[in-house]
Order: sequence, then C-alpha cells, then structure tokens
Amino acid sequence: MKARMLATHVALPVLAIAAASAQAHAADFDWMKFKGKTVTFLANNNPVAQALLTYKADFEKLTGMTLKVDGYQEQQMRQRLVTVMNANSDEVDVFMTLPSREGEQFAAAGWYGDLTAMAKNEVAKEYDPAGLSQALLKAATFGGKLTSMPMNIEGPIFYYRTDIFKKCGLEAPKTIKEVEAAAAKIKACDSAVTPFVSRGLKPAVAYTFSNMLHNIGGSYIAGGKSNLCSAKGKEALDTYSRLLRDFGPPGVVNYSFQQISALYRGGRAAMAFESSNELRTVMDGGARLKDTGLLPFPAGEAGQVPTTIGWGMAVSSHSKQPEAAWYFVQWATSPEVQKKMALQGIAPPRPSVAKDPDYRKWIDEEPVRREWQAALDVLATKGSSEVGYPIVANPESREFIGQAVQDLILKQKPIDQACADADKALDALIAQK
Amino acid sequence: MSDAAATLTQDRQKLEMSVLSAPAVIFTVAMIAFPVVYTVWLGFQNFSSTGKQSFAGLANYSKLVSDYEFWHGLWVTIALYVLSLVLQLVFGVWLALVLFHAKRLPGIVRSLFISPFMMPPVVAGMMWLVILDPSLGAANYILQSFGLPPSEWLASPSLVIPTVALIDSWQWTPYVALIVLGGLQSLPPSVYEAAQIDGASPFRTFQRITLPLLLPTIVTAAILRSVDLLRFFDIIYITTQGGPGNASNTLNIYGFRVGFEFFNIGYASALMLTLTAIVFGAVLAFNRLRGAVAW
Repeated sequence: MKARMLATHVALPVLAIAAASAQAHAADFDWMKFKGKTVTFLANNNPVAQALLTYKADFEKLTGMTLKVDGYQEQQMRQRLVTVMNANSDEVDVFMTLPSREGEQFAAAGWYGDLTAMAKNEVAKEYDPAGLSQALLKAATFGGKLTSMPMNIEGPIFYYRTDIFKKCGLEAPKTIKEVEAAAAKIKACDSAVTPFVSRGLKPAVAYTFSNMLHNIGGSYIAGGKSNLCSAKGKEALDTYSRLLRDFGPPGVVNYSFQQISALYRGGRAAMAFESSNELRTVMDGGARLKDTGLLPFPAGEAGQVPTTIGWGMAVSSHSKQPEAAWYFVQWATSPEVQKKMALQGIAPPRPSVAKDPDYRKWIDEEPVRREWQAALDVLATKGSSEVGYPIVANPESREFIGQAVQDLILKQKPIDQACADADKALDALIAQK
Repeated sequence: MSDAAATLTQDRQKLEMSVLSAPAVIFTVAMIAFPVVYTVWLGFQNFSSTGKQSFAGLANYSKLVSDYEFWHGLWVTIALYVLSLVLQLVFGVWLALVLFHAKRLPGIVRSLFISPFMMPPVVAGMMWLVILDPSLGAANYILQSFGLPPSEWLASPSLVIPTVALIDSWQWTPYVALIVLGGLQSLPPSVYEAAQIDGASPFRTFQRITLPLLLPTIVTAAILRSVDLLRFFDIIYITTQGGPGNASNTLNIYGFRVGFEFFNIGYASALMLTLTAIVFGAVLAFNRLRGAVAW
C-alpha cells in the first residue's frame, strides 16, 4: 500500500455525496431517538479521550442515553479490545482506534462496524461530515467502508528551547543536518542540558522515526520487499540513532512520550521530537510557555513529509445497538465538541474549527500556540499517515524497526547487520497473509 | 452398632460430603480445567493477524524449537529466577532472624520492614522506574552526591537483569521473611537450650541447628517464590517492556506480546503452555527437595 499523503484537496466522493444526502435527512434527526439506552465506550486514557470525556454529561443530557466509559492506558485498551472481539462479545459498543496502526488488521478481522451508510443517512444538520479532514477519513476507509470518524489530528513535532538556542548562538534548524549541528553545539555550549531527545523505546520508535525516514526520502517497502537497507533507509537509521546515542539522555532506549515530556518540561532538554498532543503536558506549570519554539520536523533531502495521524472512534461490529453507538460517535466528532476539545489543546481534524474565532483567540493568547497551530497546518497539508509498515502486521513491524534503532543506539550491531536483520524479519511479515 | 450399620452410616456420610462439596469442586474444576483445556486447543491452532483460524497441528511447537526469541526468553527467565531467588532467600532468612531476635522492635518499624510486598507490583514498578531514571531519578542523584558515576540501570542491557532482580527482591524479601519467621517461631526451644548448655556460639547454633531445622520452611518459601519468579511479568512490563532490545524479555513477556500485540494467539498459547510446564517442573523438583530435608 502506498503511503497515504494527507492533503486538503484530496477528493472523497463518498463524503461529498454524504454532505448532500445529509441535508435531506437532517430535518428528521432526533438526538433523543435512543433515550434510555446505555452505550459502552472503550477509551484510551490519553489527552484526547480525557478532553472528550470532560463533556460526558452534555452527551447524556442531549440524548437521554447513559455513557458507560471503560478507560485504560493504550496497550491495555488494545488488549481488552482483542479479548472482547475474539470472544465476539457485545460488551463494547464504541472504541478508540488508530487506523494508521491497526486499521488494516481490524478491518480484515471484521471488527469495525461499517459507518458509511450512517455517516450519510443518520446525521444531524450541524454535523457536517464533509468538514472533517478528508485525508483522515480516507485513512479510515478500508475496502470502501468507512470504519471510524477522526477525533483529532496529531503528529510528532519539533519542540526547541529558544533561550538555549539564543545562548548558544543558534537559529531554529531548517534541515536535519542543522538539527545535528545544533545538538553538537549545544553539547559544547551547555553541558547541563540534554541536546536532543526523542523516542527510543522499541515499540514507540516508529512514530518519530517514520517522519525522519520520509523526510530523507526513504520508504519502508520497495518492490514488495523491506527497504531499510537502502541508502536512504540506512541514512535514516544512522541519523536517528546517532542523534539519540550521541546527544540524547542516558537511558533513552526506554524513553517514550512520558519521559520525553517530563525531561523537556523540566528544562533538561534543548530539543524534543515528540507528539503534538504533548503540548498541554509540556506547558504544564508554565515553565516552558515563554521559551519554547515549535516546528514541523526539519526537512531532509525529500523536504518535509511529517507523520500525521489521528485517533478515530469506531463502532464495534459486535455491538447490538450500532445506531445508538453511532449517535455517540457523531456527537463526539461534531464541530461543537471538537471546538471545545480544541480549547483544551486537542488539535481538531476540522479546518472549520481551526478557523473558529474562539479557537483563534485561544491560539493567539500565546505565541507557542500559534506555532503549534502552524505546525499542525503543515501536518494537515503535507503529512503521511505511514507509521511502520503499511501491512496487516503493522504493530509487529514496529518491533523490528525499533530493534534496529536500539541495536545502533546501544552499538550492539553495525548498521549493515542491524538493517539486514530487520529486513529479513520484515520480509517474512510482508509475505504473511 | 453392628458392622453393617456402621458401614451404612459411613457410606451415607461420604455421600453427604460428596454432594455438599460437589458445587465447589465442579466450580473449581471448571475455572481451572476449562482455561487449560482451551489453551491446549489454541496451541494447535493457527491464528492470523486478521483473526482467521485454521488447524496447525504441531506447527506452533516446532516453531518454538527454532525460535531464537523463545530460547533467549528462556535464558532471561532462568537468569532472573536464579538471581532473584537467591537474593530473596538469603535476605529473607536474615530479615526473619532480625525480626525474631529484635523482639523490642516497635510495631511500626516491623510494619515498615514488611510493607513493600503489600504494594501492588505495578505501583512498585512505576515507583522504581522514576527512581532509576538515569536523568531525572533519585538513584543517580544519590550516587553522584557521593562522587560515584551514574548508572543506566534499566536502560543498560548488561545491568537490566540485576536491576529488575533487585526491584523484585526489594518487594518480595519481606514475604519470604514472614514465612521463615513463622518457621523460626515453631522451632523447639529445647534444642537451643541444649546448645547453650554445651557452649555453642551463635554462629555455630545457626549453622548446626537453626538452618537445618529451617530448611523445610525455606524450601516452602522457595516453592512459593518460584511460581511467581518463573512467571516474571509485572515489574518488567512496567519498566522496560522486555528492553532494552530484548535484554529483559522473559518468556511471559514474550508470550504476552505475541498474543496481545501481534495477535498470534495460537503461538502465544504454545509458549505459555511451555512456560507452565517449566513452572510445574520446578515445583515438583522443590517438593522432592522438601521431602528430603523434612525432619
């Protein structure tokens, strides 16, 4: 599967028709249609769901339904979902999903309910399905079926300390090579701070590494085979691991977003390459509000191809009340709710919300928020949702990418062996049906 | 009562006991037997990432034999098991002796000594993850305060196993100590009186009397800890998830990831059954040892 390029000009006939059809059905729409029913929502306990669930009472008041929330950390949420789905259980009506990670797999396993018809025929007047990011909707469409509605837009972005850069006589980096040069200079200029930090934990690496790979011009698959040992693949592996090994914090191989945010928020890192969702966490306490700059990750030889994904809300194919479940999905991804979530730092997957006056006022309150929005605009227009290999076994593919990076950080293998071992394992995964 | 009447009464009592205990027995067998039987069945199935299922025969078990990650996981499991068990038995006996002899120790101090094992393993793991963070953690701060070099702890492939063993030993040594303390309190005082009369030193008394008499209790503690240590999961999952690389990837962690992250339920079942067999083997071996050291 080719990398899914996100662009606001991508046409989606399905949803264009949906927009027209929705007009016809909007007049019949009744939020109270499923009054008295209980919808169970399996949520990932991340900032996106936390922001959404702040307004849980609003949904219950609007619809007369009861929302039962089953919240877990991301990995535990997936494990619960696997257990429920393998048992063909109707315990869960709605669940959060990452189409970029498990979309192919869940779609092939038949776990997603088909939202195509409901997104056309069962929509409130104000819902505006065509106003959602067309590219994220395309990324959530498998075999012609729409499987989830996007809750947010996110991707790894580049956080940097403007005060440290000024102190060390540096400008904001425009290229990957400038990032490395800046790291070297900061290491010499300010030994108390970690020059660069990003993800080193094996299953988490692919999220940030994919951005660098695409910026450099590499690809995961070429000619049906794993491509990490290509010149661009090796350059990406070498550069990413070198940045972490030579300029990253001790123990970076165990680092994911929690550790990165804590290190940067605590003023111990000069540059951090981490999710845009972490803005709220990083700014927590206010210490980094005035001395942080934000950019999409600097360009490589292929320019800027930022990783852009979004959490989605899906209806379980085993749900005994898919229409009631759809009402919750529709409410949660409506312009009104997404605007409220945006004011909590959850980037909206609707360009209209991004232009809303209240949201713009919130953005304009702090320069760092303006830069955050500007970075997200680049993600929305230029991004790729390819994180790890575009195959059904995507989660497993991320292990081998992470292993190759860790082998290089820990100097356990030379680059030729690290990429060859990864390619061998990944070729076997690609060949799996 | 005649013999026939006595036999009838006994038979009736047996029948009554069987009937009354049947619900509990049926429930217990169902709760244990069904998952085991189902897992055995799953081990002979092939589940693709898309949830499609087919009969695999012995394919999962033959894959296991040639799987490097399985053998590496087995090695990590055994290394962690041996290191942790030795630490916990040695320090558990020492702590039990301290608690036994320091009878004036305030209750609050005794409670503090034994409190770690009451903490949920997940909480313990998260706490140590923060303490041992190479950049932000207290451990390196303390080391550097004394002029010692910082360590990578859980992020070092060579140190991760000893570090995890230390975390687990911090938590479960008090549990071993409580078991051994119970054993100490049941030892007959007469042998100690005899040793005292014979002029035996404290070390000699410990070596020739206390330790041999405590061996059955120590072996019991070893059995109980073996079952947990061979299934090492919580601390590793919270702190390293089997990393760095696969340096702390025990069989349990590996099987869990194969099943729940890669959705290969069939192979994961084969892995878990193999681990279960290893645990059973260890328990049987220790049971024989306990029989050999019983007095």
